Amino acid sequence: MLVLDVPTMTGRTGALGIDSTPMADSARPKPTSDELRGLFAEQAIPFMDQLYAAAMRMTRNPADAGDLVQETYTKAFAAFAGFEQGTNLKAWLYRILTNTYINSYRKNQRSPYQGTLDDLEDWQLGSAESLTQGRTTRSAEAEAIDHLPDSDVKEALQSIPEDFRLAVYLADVEGFSYQEIADIMKTPVGTVMSRLHRGRRLLRERLAEYARERGYTVADTPSGSTR
Amino acid sequence: MTDCGCDKAKAELEEFLHRELSEQDLRDVQEHLDGCVDCSSEHLVGLTLTQKVQRACQEKAPEELRASILASLGS
Repeated sequence: MLVLDVPTMTGRTGALGIDSTPMADSARPKPTSDELRGLFAEQAIPFMDQLYAAAMRMTRNPADAGDLVQETYTKAFAAFAGFEQGTNLKAWLYRILTNTYINSYRKNQRSPYQGTLDDLEDWQLGSAESLTQGRTTRSAEAEAIDHLPDSDVKEALQSIPEDFRLAVYLADVEGFSYQEIADIMKTPVGTVMSRLHRGRRLLRERLAEYARERGYTVADTPSGSTR
Repeated sequence: MTDCGCDKAKAELEEFLHRELSEQDLRDVQEHLDGCVDCSSEHLVGLTLTQKVQRACQEKAPEELRASILASLGS
C-alpha cells in the first residue's frame, strides 16, 4: 500500500478542494475502478508535459524529472478516488508533485541556508530595489531580456534559490494564484509574495548580467538609443 | 516622495502583473500606467520577464515516460 504523504495529511480543506474528512459517499454512487481509471486518463494525463517541465526545473535533469513525474502519477492515481470532481485538479497534481519532490528528492541536497532564506533582509540578497532608472534604460532592459536565448533564462532560473524559483515558476509559468501557490508550497500568502518578489528580482539581475555579457545594451548606458 | 501615484503603482506592479489586485486597484494601476511612462516601462520589464520565463519553460514529456505512465495505469 502506498503511503500518501501528499494531499490527505494536511487535515484541512484548502482552496484546492483537498479534504481529509470522509467524502459524503451517500450523495453519489462510488465510481468503479474502471470509471476512475478512465476519468484519470482523461483528466490528469493531459497535464504530463506541464508536470514534466516543472519537474525539470525542480530536479534539473531529465532522469530525475521522469522519475518524479512517474511517482507523482502513481500517487495521484492511488489518491484519485478522494479527489473531489469539479475542484482544481491541476493544483492538486502540483501539490502532489511538490510534496513528492520535497520528500524524496530534496532531502539530501537541501543546503543549510535554505531554511532561513525567507528571513534574510533584501540587502543581504544583494542589489538595490531599482535596477535601472528611467524610461530609456528600462525599455532597453526589456528588449535585452527579450533577446536572450531560452537556455540563458533556464540557467538563470536554476541559479536562484529553490523556494524562490518554485514560486516564480508556479506564478509566472503556471499562472497559479498566490493562494494556490501558498497551498502548494504550504506557506502563508505573504511568504509567497516575498519569495516571488525576491525571485523575480534575482532573475532580472541575472538576466541583465547575461545580456551585458552578450553585449546587449542594458543599464549603465544612458544613451538615447534602445537598439 | 511625490504625489503622482508612482509609489503606490510601483509597489503594486507585481500583483498587477499576476492579477492579484481587486477590480478597483487593477483599474487604478492601469489608469496610472496609461499616463506614466516611467511606471509603464517598469511594467514592461516585468511583463517581458514573465513571458520570457513562460516561453523558456515549455517542455514535452519524453515518449518513453508517457508510455510508462500509461502502462502503469493498466487498462
